Amino acid sequence: MRIFAALLLSPLAAGPALAQDAMTAPPAAPFAQVSTLVPLPEFIPGLGTLYVDPATLPAGPFLGYDHDGKLSATIYMVPIEDLTAGTAFDGLAVGSQTVTGVDIYYNAGHPGVEKPHAHVVLYHDAEAKARLAQ
Amino acid sequence: MIPRRVLLGGGLAALASHAVAQERVEIAMRGSARGERVWFSPQGLAVGPGTTLRFVNRDPGNSHTSTAYHPDLLGRQRRIPRAATPWDSGFLLPDKSFEVTLTVPGVYDYYCQPHEMAGMVGRIVVGAPGDPGWEGPAPDNEDLMVEVLATFPSVEAILAAGRVEPEDAP
Repeated sequence: MRIFAALLLSPLAAGPALAQDAMTAPPAAPFAQVSTLVPLPEFIPGLGTLYVDPATLPAGPFLGYDHDGKLSATIYMVPIEDLTAGTAFDGLAVGSQTVTGVDIYYNAGHPGVEKPHAHVVLYHDAEAKARLAQ
Repeated sequence: MIPRRVLLGGGLAALASHAVAQERVEIAMRGSARGERVWFSPQGLAVGPGTTLRFVNRDPGNSHTSTAYHPDLLGRQRRIPRAATPWDSGFLLPDKSFEVTLTVPGVYDYYCQPHEMAGMVGRIVVGAPGDPGWEGPAPDNEDLMVEVLATFPSVEAILAAGRVEPEDAP
């Protein structure tokens, strides 16, 4: 019970955090703005302004920044077909080890990750989801 | 500037295009808020020869294409009338549009390049069976997944209703 309470009160134990300079946009290379790599809007409602290291596609991590350039979410995009085939995505990095909530939902695909996939969205503060909404 | 391509079926069709109404009809590219679903609206549409179709991306979180099934475009099997010229809008970001004018009577099937697997396809019926030069729907083939083939509304349903929306569209 004590262990469970500790998990609730402390940041989620996630993968290795990226360097501190990822907290504000733009993150250092090899991260690149997704809208410069593929034809997608610069700011995607629900995800923000995305950056990714192209070598980590399709899973990411994608770093989602709000309109003020604050890191608000780390997103993973995991093709359903790959999961079904037994592919694992282990040891993925996170933009920040402070995670206040997680959303997981289906996406039919988009340029960059065309296969139907799951979005796993880690929000890094309580207001992040609202700031990324529009 | 809206990219525009006029599809002509040769000299006779070019002459005929001057004799028909120059109507303009919008086909919206839509998606749910989180991208779980994507679709053309309407998915099936009946128009007269010479109608200009305006594809508009109304999905704020995604980009889409309108691409005719044709060997000249990514090597796909032809699903538009033989006398028609294929079109490809390229990727359209939100609020961007593309126009194409269809003059050859028949059935035109098209798709969104990044979302074909998700069933984002559409069918346009130009004119009606019996029109000079009419070419009906392409037969089913292995170029398309069974699930995608099942998505096209029937020509009969499109002609009866004029426009057909996806059954499970929000």
